[in-house]
Amino acid sequence: MDAGLPYAGAALWLLFIAIGVATTVPRASFIVLGSRAALPAVVQRALRYAPAAALAAVVAPDIFVSGGAPVILSPRVGAAAAVVIVCLRWQNPWLPFIAGMATLWGLRLVLS
Amino acid sequence: MRIPSWSRLSPEFRAGAREGFRTYLPLSIGLIPWALVTGVAMRGIGLSAVESMGMNLLVFAGAAQLGTLPLIAGGAPVWVILATALALNLRFVIFSAAIARYLQEHRTSLRWLMGHLLTDGVFAISMGPMLRQENRDWRLGFYLAPSAWGWLLWQVFALVGVLFAGLIPRGWSLEFMATIALMTILLPMARARPMLLAALAGGGVAVALHALPLRLGLFVGILAGIAAGMLAEGRAGPATAGESR
Repeated sequence: MDAGLPYAGAALWLLFIAIGVATTVPRASFIVLGSRAALPAVVQRALRYAPAAALAAVVAPDIFVSGGAPVILSPRVGAAAAVVIVCLRWQNPWLPFIAGMATLWGLRLVLS
Repeated sequence: MRIPSWSRLSPEFRAGAREGFRTYLPLSIGLIPWALVTGVAMRGIGLSAVESMGMNLLVFAGAAQLGTLPLIAGGAPVWVILATALALNLRFVIFSAAIARYLQEHRTSLRWLMGHLLTDGVFAISMGPMLRQENRDWRLGFYLAPSAWGWLLWQVFALVGVLFAGLIPRGWSLEFMATIALMTILLPMARARPMLLAALAGGGVAVALHALPLRLGLFVGILAGIAAGMLAEGRAGPATAGESR
């Protein structure tokens, strides 16, 4: 069925469970432990930056790497710029998707 | 866990639940595009419908799902996938620590459930009202009702995405919607300067090292981003390094 996936069958399900644990444990941590535990200040500071760093590290190659090489101008970069502008100006949850995809398709049409 | 009927719950719980649901309802609409995109993205890497919904039930977290999907598809090692999932979830350790004192005095199993259901949106609406309300049942209702509603919306619309993903032609590049979804959480975070620098360093290093095997560039990028954020905060002084200004 999923011949193309490197993880399949039991390995895939175990991986889902492991990712699920890595998701629920951070959320449940202090709610379950209660006020008995406290985070050292340095760790708290480091944790604050982890999500932004991780999100950017996941997203940036999707935008700026094309065909195995870094690019500065491409339909994806243009679409990402449109998403940034829309997010900074409006709160609407649908608009970033509409603007981003429309820009991506529009630039592809124009450039092809 | 046995769920008592609505009329047998304490009036305080019901009042809190109504209030929490009402406060969360407009915000919860924002989950719909996210859930749709996540459903489509899971099918997009080649997961079956059952595997997709299995992942959606086991991993209740849009960012962790969308962030690990390309790694699963690319055959990254398990530890890189788990480290990435953890990093994407670490902000919830802080949320958990902040909200914990309002959710004590309940059974441990219930606290695990509340932890599992913790999301950005419910956390954001909870802190103010919980500070003002002394009654523990009221707080429980205020937390659980919107959390359960968010969970339901998430599962239903992810399922819609999973079922209709096959109808969408590949040429539309809908996988880019996952990138857009992740950008929409990143951008409000990056308003504070140290956070912006953490994002720029994380993204820049990940792009520069994209050719490294095993997606190690991602891992190094996360570490570089954390280091950059802490350095920037140290330089600006903790007083100015607030969340969003």
